[in-house]
Amino acid sequence: MRSLDERWVTPGQPVRRRDGDLLVTGHALYVDDFREPGTLHMAVLRSPHPHARISSIDTTSAMSVRGVRAIVTGKDVQAAIGPVPHWFDPANFGGNTSDFPALPVDEVVYAGQPVVAAAAESKAQAEAALAAVRVEYVPLPFVTSVPEAIREDAPLVFGRWDRNVALGDTISFGDAAGALERADHRASDTFSIQRYQTAPLEPRAYLARWGRDGRLTYHCNTQSPHQMRGNLAAMFGVPEPHVRVITPKVGGAFGHKFHGYPEEPLVALMAKTCGAPVKWIESREEAMLVGAREFEHDFEVGFMADGEITAIRSKVWSNVGALGAAGGWPMTVVSAMTIPGPYEIPNTECSYEVVVSNKAPWNGARGYGKESAAIVLERMVEMVAERLGMDPVAVRLRNFPPPEVFPHWLGGKRLDSGNYAVVLERAVEMSGYRERRRACRDERTDTTVFGVGIGFELTPEGGDWHGGLLRGFDTSTVRMDPSGDVTVLTGVTSPGTGNETGIAQVVAFELGVEFRAVTVLQGDTDTVPYGFGNSSSRSLNLGGASAALACRELRVKLVAAAAYTWNVPGETIHFRNGRVGCDGDASLGMTIGELAYAVYTAPMPVRELMPPQLEATATYWPANLDHDPPGPGGITHTPYPTFPYSAHVAQVAVDVETGLVKLVGYDAVHDCGTVVNPMFVEGQFHGAIAMGLGGALSEMNAYGADGMLQSTTFKTYLPIRATDLPDLRTDHVVTPSPVTLLGTKGAGEGGVGGALAAVMNAVNDAVGQVGATLRRFPARPPAVLAALQEARR
Amino acid sequence: MTHVDPAPHRTVSCTVNGKDVQVRCRDGALLVEMIRDTLDLTGTHIGCLNGDCGVCTVRVDGQVTKSCLYLAARAEGAEVTTIEGVAEEGTLHEVQQALWNGEGFQCGFCVPGQVFCAMDLLESNTTPSDGQIRHAISGNLCRCTGYQKIVEAIHDASTRLDPTEKTATH
Repeated sequence: MRSLDERWVTPGQPVRRRDGDLLVTGHALYVDDFREPGTLHMAVLRSPHPHARISSIDTTSAMSVRGVRAIVTGKDVQAAIGPVPHWFDPANFGGNTSDFPALPVDEVVYAGQPVVAAAAESKAQAEAALAAVRVEYVPLPFVTSVPEAIREDAPLVFGRWDRNVALGDTISFGDAAGALERADHRASDTFSIQRYQTAPLEPRAYLARWGRDGRLTYHCNTQSPHQMRGNLAAMFGVPEPHVRVITPKVGGAFGHKFHGYPEEPLVALMAKTCGAPVKWIESREEAMLVGAREFEHDFEVGFMADGEITAIRSKVWSNVGALGAAGGWPMTVVSAMTIPGPYEIPNTECSYEVVVSNKAPWNGARGYGKESAAIVLERMVEMVAERLGMDPVAVRLRNFPPPEVFPHWLGGKRLDSGNYAVVLERAVEMSGYRERRRACRDERTDTTVFGVGIGFELTPEGGDWHGGLLRGFDTSTVRMDPSGDVTVLTGVTSPGTGNETGIAQVVAFELGVEFRAVTVLQGDTDTVPYGFGNSSSRSLNLGGASAALACRELRVKLVAAAAYTWNVPGETIHFRNGRVGCDGDASLGMTIGELAYAVYTAPMPVRELMPPQLEATATYWPANLDHDPPGPGGITHTPYPTFPYSAHVAQVAVDVETGLVKLVGYDAVHDCGTVVNPMFVEGQFHGAIAMGLGGALSEMNAYGADGMLQSTTFKTYLPIRATDLPDLRTDHVVTPSPVTLLGTKGAGEGGVGGALAAVMNAVNDAVGQVGATLRRFPARPPAVLAALQEARR
Repeated sequence: MTHVDPAPHRTVSCTVNGKDVQVRCRDGALLVEMIRDTLDLTGTHIGCLNGDCGVCTVRVDGQVTKSCLYLAARAEGAEVTTIEGVAEEGTLHEVQQALWNGEGFQCGFCVPGQVFCAMDLLESNTTPSDGQIRHAISGNLCRCTGYQKIVEAIHDASTRLDPTEKTATH
């Protein structure tokens, strides 16, 4: 099964990543590794208050600090550049919005908000200068929690809004109220997820310099180079092509590197002001400010005596901090629209409120709200099973749509394909779920209770959001040189996942050329087609598919050329292992390079070769995007075309004296459609699972009641480590998607929600044996002890 | 216009990846700063400057060391190996080979810590258990792999390093 550096590859082979030798020897270049003589370094002075009026800023003594070249305040920013454009504006959905200049003029709305920036010959000098800046603040009342923020008399985060809610709506199908009335049973509960982020190990990094020609060259590790380019051009009032955004190797992104941060234009402004390259690297403490996923759920389920679930009514409140221009808040909407997930529940009423507070703004986080829907749904299913005394597996099986109904409309989603029961049963079998469930009760001791829990996750992918530059299509150019070698230029980018290797596999196979003859270029707005970069597991769905389409256009030219050259019908031409041949005449043959050279050098009077350039550009847009545009009238259909899914079983041991949760076993089965590179897909699945497990067990961006971030380092954030995890046993089932060219559904995001849900159910299976229920994450010892103590009262 | 940094400086003489170097740096400079900024060996990364993540890992006189917690001045006379110095004459170490073959990294940012800790483990234990491997790399964060394929790759490297002592580890 192992194939390393094969000459000939096909989709489906576990080819190792092409840049692996550079990465593993330390020779790959990330943004901070680019060195330009005379580069200045930027540092940012941040607000020490969660909410305050700025009464004065005095930079006089700061300017005399050695090495300082420029100091910029909100007034300088206001005079020079426009506000940071929204990644996706709440106004697109009819919500409240605000402008977010890179630096504020008169008011700060969260602790950690940039207030003054300095550029100097070294970072230390820039920081020394900022230490000499005098800012006078008048503290204002602030809110940090949802209950505080939505009170009638709450201080407003944005003075021009009527309340601290950016957006709220209800997504309904059927008649949830009536169905709840008619249900044999009803159950309700709550669950809260903490603020936790993705914490890529490479922090954000920007390096800007303006050329004498007025062009801005901008190295950064954004997930969307073209949208970053558009934003910079808009803010600085220059034509979009006058900005060149380059993303070299990226050290993980996961949503943290969506655009919309204030430091993005600040670096470019500093470079312009100083006439020199300026670099800014986010510190870990700065990175820790970025929030995500702080959701509070309240839900009710109606069900019949046989386990059929007939209705869901749910509400989710997100605490998105001070909104900002980056890409976090829509996670709330996605959370609500993902319900009822994989379950055939005809009556659903899901409300959401995007609540703002004086915490730092969110950015996107892998899972993107789909994980919080999984938590709600999987808790409900367990409640149904418990109330009815049914097997939790049976309740799920009772409510899955059967495989023969796909493609299948369910809760505003046209589910592409799947066999949910097979995937669940495989996970149940692999983990020995039923035996473990019995054994957990027997193994219980005075100090330890054991639990096992299932998490099933539906992961809508390939988001196509109208009203913003967040679309579900992408474009690739495939070019064959006279040598027969191939260059692929694609609008999708790699955050470190290695999708360029997967795209090269597809292209090498489509054209029948050697794997090493294919070069994939990404992440340079001067060379690649306009595209939307990396999000929503889209790389192979769209980048791979558009490259395949372009290959097929190219192939038409190559077939015509070979047919003309040999004077044989086009249908007889085949391409294999770098050679062109003719079915039925083994004497005819040449290399693809010879054919390409012939096309460029010998005029061939056939229609397909006028013009003869061996280059094609194709845009791929999957089927299944026939949804209604979301807007002020509400959201009816989700903007996702594909629906991977996965089943997870977690096993835990809970120490009832210390509250410590130890994960002792983990099994999961995934269906993301056709798999182009099984080794990469498995790695993505593991990574997503670990990101869910981290949030379930320990990771948290904790705030104090004073509105200050407490987890400023990894020591307090508690990222998951190798010793926190058991062997992750995973398997795959493939039901190709009928709505994408390659049959792929998207890999990378699926797994976060299933992991969170499985741990939630496993912990509750354990602590339920002593009468307790855990209703909040993370399952750190204090939260578990609190749940146990509550049960003892 | 170049300012002379008035902070006290010194010259550190040491061996980096087998080459004798004399590096002028601030007295307070961290080893990671000397490696990255003065020697331009950018394979040693910065992820937290706090000893938490391990992406700045090097070896100092054989000892696995987080170079953000180590003053450059302390490396006087020492033999320092960075990730660039692991593949001798361009041949990947078995650990590097196994990590690459087995998707033991994705974005690659955490590679220095995983490689040095795995090499260190395998030098003293040719048949490590899962638990021993997890313990050995527990000072290194990885946000991409969930550690699973790193653990598998280190097992793979262990069998390749010592073909006479193959063990069933799963």
